[in-house]
Amino acid sequence: MISDAPVLQQTSEPAESAAAPSRVARYVRPLLGVLLPLTLALGWELVVWSGWSNGRLVPPPSRVFATIMELARSGELIRHIAATLWRVGLGFAFGVVAGTLLGAISGYWSLARRLLDPTVQALRAIPSLAWVPLFILWLGIFETSKIALIAVGVFFPVYLGVMGAILIVDRKIVEVGRTFRLSGPAMIRRILLPAVLPAYVVSLRVGLGLGWMFVVAAELIGASEGLGYLLLDGQQLGKPAQILAAIVIFAILGKLTDWLIEVASAPFLRWQDAFGRAKGA
Amino acid sequence: MLALDRVSKTYPNGVQALARFSAEIRQGEIVAIIGGSGCGKSTLLRAIAGLDRASSGTVILDSETIASPHAKIGIIFQEPRLLPWLSVADNIGFGLADLPAAARREKVVRALERVGLADKAQAWPRELSGGQAQRVAIARALVPQPEVLLLDEPFSALDAFTRRDLQDHLLDLWADTRPTLVLVTHDVDEAVALADRVLVMRPRPGRLFDQIEINLGRPRDRNSPLFENFKRSVLTSLDRSLDRSVPDRDATQGPGQAMWW
Repeated sequence: MISDAPVLQQTSEPAESAAAPSRVARYVRPLLGVLLPLTLALGWELVVWSGWSNGRLVPPPSRVFATIMELARSGELIRHIAATLWRVGLGFAFGVVAGTLLGAISGYWSLARRLLDPTVQALRAIPSLAWVPLFILWLGIFETSKIALIAVGVFFPVYLGVMGAILIVDRKIVEVGRTFRLSGPAMIRRILLPAVLPAYVVSLRVGLGLGWMFVVAAELIGASEGLGYLLLDGQQLGKPAQILAAIVIFAILGKLTDWLIEVASAPFLRWQDAFGRAKGA
Repeated sequence: MLALDRVSKTYPNGVQALARFSAEIRQGEIVAIIGGSGCGKSTLLRAIAGLDRASSGTVILDSETIASPHAKIGIIFQEPRLLPWLSVADNIGFGLADLPAAARREKVVRALERVGLADKAQAWPRELSGGQAQRVAIARALVPQPEVLLLDEPFSALDAFTRRDLQDHLLDLWADTRPTLVLVTHDVDEAVALADRVLVMRPRPGRLFDQIEINLGRPRDRNSPLFENFKRSVLTSLDRSLDRSVPDRDATQGPGQAMWW
């Protein structure tokens, strides 16, 4: 025992310093990710400013920013953002509800899985954009077909995520529920739901990403407002700054909504003993 | 009383895991079930727990036939099986959902103190050591005050020090309410240290081979010659159970007959 003590002390020191990085490192590390895009943007700005390029097809960041400000001042930006957010929000909501319900049914009830899953998997194999002509015929050119398309895009990852997560819930944990004689609903609420939550959050984030992808597709097909419309309008009128402005806003909104899911789910996932957490990521 | 009457289990693939196992276990008795691997001891325990149904035969607790998990029967597995999304306190209170919150909290606090983990109440299971986690599992199984507590090799994943510590701790907790303990183990030392009676099983198909009463008071001195004697007799019986040339005999005739060494 006595000879153990110094060894223990020695080994605990490097472990501690790795777990609690210095204050400088903590603030510098996230900034590392910004370094590359910032350098590129500044570089391009300099190239155009010094006259090496006229920046007509690839406008410098300052001109993109100016375009954004201009759109914002006229109130158009808010209108386009609102239209797109509304579509993504509704499509995401429908896709998540349908994906969660069907995924849960397929995961929980093997008869339903045999009946349902092959069809869903077959539908999944169809590139979702192939539905566009049909949706337009069925639902018209306006909002409904767009929202349906987004919902389809969101549905599949959520369905797969929920079903897959339920199927791999640890039998040993379920047995704990059985020994305490949980009823069906209690088993779902107290064992299955918390067990699938991490995978569910991931599938929501994947679904949201697809939702943003499909809203562009939907708005490129035909819209009079929305960020996708800004893209198309910029192409047709030869305004690359407007296209880049829309892309930047897509990036910001996509990241922001993804972050919202992450932040909203974080309190429920604090228990996870995960690789990423151990690394302090 | 817990009565096992010709409990048999044949799996769908045709393997007979358990053949006509009969035993009567008194209320408050500590019984260890020991045997070579594949002797059906875990199958037997799962049948008593109502987790798996026996193919034939019955498990009867106080004149009630057990076919599914029962409120009077608790179980502790080889792994702690704590729910990783619940704090230590909530894990211990998991089986008390029917109680009002205040009563539940009080029982949990008392159980936490009893297993010496009061300072870990709000910790996550991942923050516990193996021994601490298994203590939480024991507390979780004991707070609903079961009449029968089943233990499926509960300490086999722990190091020798922790194992002894937890064995003593288990006896200590057992003394509070004196539930019946049915302990499956492959550790002779553990069986002799804990049990009033050791049932030796023999494999293929799993069946009762021998039973040995451990007539030692508690607390038991693991270094006493008497303790060693009992260990030796259990070991000898285990050896014979694995020797195919030794015929089966009716092991239910009662104690004393194991004194053949």
